[in-house]
Amino acid sequence: MRPVVHLPPCSARLLRRDVLLGCAAAALSPGCARQERAAREAGRIVVPFWYALGDLVRKVLLELVAQFNASQARVVVKPVHQGDYFEALAKLRTALAAGVAPALSHVVLEVLPYLARAGVLEPLDRYEGASDMQFVPALSQAGAFTDGSGRSVFGLPFNRSTPIAVANGRALDVARVAIPSTWDELAEAAGQLTRHEASGEVRWGFEVPVSWWYWVAMMGQAGGRLVDASGRLVLGGQAGEKALEFWQRLVHEQRAMRPPPGRDYQAWQSTSESFLRGRAAMIWTSTALLRYLEQNASFPVVAAPLPRQVRWSVPTGGTMFVLLRSAPEEEKLAAWEFLRWMCEADQTIAWSTRTAYLPVTLPAVDRLRAAGWYNRHANDRVAYEQLEHVDPWPWAAELFRVERDAVDPLLEAAVLTGRNAHETMQEARDEARRAA
Amino acid sequence: MRARAGWHPWAMLGPTLALLVVFFILPLGVAAYESFFAWDLLTAPRYVGLENYRALAARGELFAIALRTVGYSVLVVTAAMSAGLALAMLLDRPGRAFAFVRASVFSAYVVSWVAVALLWMWMLDADDGLVSRLLRAIGAPSVALLGDPAWALPTLAVIAAWKLTGYAMVVFLAGLRGIPPALGEAAALDGARPWARFRYVTWPLLAPTAAFVATTLLVTSFQAFDIVRIMTQGGPAKATELFVYAIYEQVFLDLRVGRASALTVVFFGLLLALALLQLRVWSDRGGSRDAA
Repeated sequence: MRPVVHLPPCSARLLRRDVLLGCAAAALSPGCARQERAAREAGRIVVPFWYALGDLVRKVLLELVAQFNASQARVVVKPVHQGDYFEALAKLRTALAAGVAPALSHVVLEVLPYLARAGVLEPLDRYEGASDMQFVPALSQAGAFTDGSGRSVFGLPFNRSTPIAVANGRALDVARVAIPSTWDELAEAAGQLTRHEASGEVRWGFEVPVSWWYWVAMMGQAGGRLVDASGRLVLGGQAGEKALEFWQRLVHEQRAMRPPPGRDYQAWQSTSESFLRGRAAMIWTSTALLRYLEQNASFPVVAAPLPRQVRWSVPTGGTMFVLLRSAPEEEKLAAWEFLRWMCEADQTIAWSTRTAYLPVTLPAVDRLRAAGWYNRHANDRVAYEQLEHVDPWPWAAELFRVERDAVDPLLEAAVLTGRNAHETMQEARDEARRAA
Repeated sequence: MRARAGWHPWAMLGPTLALLVVFFILPLGVAAYESFFAWDLLTAPRYVGLENYRALAARGELFAIALRTVGYSVLVVTAAMSAGLALAMLLDRPGRAFAFVRASVFSAYVVSWVAVALLWMWMLDADDGLVSRLLRAIGAPSVALLGDPAWALPTLAVIAAWKLTGYAMVVFLAGLRGIPPALGEAAALDGARPWARFRYVTWPLLAPTAAFVATTLLVTSFQAFDIVRIMTQGGPAKATELFVYAIYEQVFLDLRVGRASALTVVFFGLLLALALLQLRVWSDRGGSRDAA
């Protein structure tokens, strides 16, 4: 029989108050306030790492993290999946506001200036060995942004990519079509490769997500820049309009291009599926998807640089590793240890060759060349050599907002409805200036 | 009935009031306050007065979102109620076969929105979807219903109505079973045909049930998010950007807390107006019944 204890009224009140205070403290302290000291596990510093990658890439990343954790006894990196890039960014921002951000994450390139301006990123220059890292210029922060060398380093290149043209080798052979190197050739090839079956099915000559990244590439190829010499957002001026008109021509006049359904990464996924199922003969996609396409296609996958109009041009994409300033000092140092390890040639090569993300350090590229990797993997060589034509992004804090708010929705509407390109881009420019 | 002590009613109401204040009134107040600021959660909020409302209104975005949401809700409520009522009338019969069909129709309602969205995405795939294959089989061109700005919203509304029809059917069935069969039999003896019996006997007695179904469907359709997030992400060309998704997009993708808060306040105002309108209609009906 359990003993019955009668508390005096005063004790009961105290107990209730203690319980309430305890609950409040428990609710506030660990969740809402950043701890000053790093968490430890069996004496090792725990580094939470929020990442936003799926499928094969996620598998490779987790294997590399496990390899790092097994390679030493001071630090243990704990990767936490946070959805796609935009979902992960939303969570990171919310965590920053709540004071519970992790020490380590990776963010899309375009958002780096915004986070840097907000003061939430740790400048990485002061860390040991930072100046010795030999990154591929076009993929480092210095090369990825205009005037990139004049400011602190806030991001190290991680999973970096560019847009690339990919074609179904068998379809090219059957139609006796060469891979296009200019816009005119692309339009002609897309027309020749488009096939209407008797069953009503269509094999499209060309497919590309109607989105900011690919439009920026075309705007550059038509000779434009996002900002003019005085730093004013002009979205390429007439070149931006030409890019949009070219898409409209392929979709509405030639009926040789299918704009994939869905937005953001859903449209990318849809484009890949169309290609793999033989429903699109040529696509523009990310270099990061080359390995996935090669491994899943039932036909030869042929990569080529994006075609030029008046010049060659590609933007870079993907993400940069960042350290969050709010993390405890020893946690940031431990995270840096992991970053240095990830940037060593062995890991860079493993990451790049298994996922098809671009190799980010020069020693890794030298070793790949010496080992004959690029002779055996022509698509990877095309992807790497295209870096010669990279146009850097402007270092503009509102860049991602211009992308999402001003340009993306208008591009989609104009391509689908055939709205006048000049009007559309004029509205986009006005929106962009308001957003900035 | 009189309370023994003055504080008793408040004590009874306390837990509910506390929940209401903490999870509804307080957040709404915070949203209303934040709608006067430009804030990205990272840098300090900047007071901008009515700028968030002005920006939303100036671009026509606010009106477009409101119109889209109301249009979507009207389609969903009308389609789900009509189909639910028709099915309830058809299936209000004894027997295992009818019970099986009733359960089958209702089963769509208990499936999650995510599963429903994925199922329909597969069915509506412009190339390999079931709908496209059927169209091609009869010689018609396949259509990208979710990729066409003119068709995307009605398509989402049909899918939502398909899912909610089972719910409407079950509530209508309960309403039908509450109507004494003798009333219909008496009307039949008086020579009333089936349509007249429905029009003058069944429907008036089902009116309270119909009002309940309409209200709950309206609330559900106004809160549409999952189906938009998974199937269209508000596209193509913003054609399916409904209120809740627009709020999500503003705060989590475009990092504009102030503008999302302004949208929330307007959304609340719209729902409040609809609720007041509905109360007015109900009170008028009650008044006319009392007078009769």
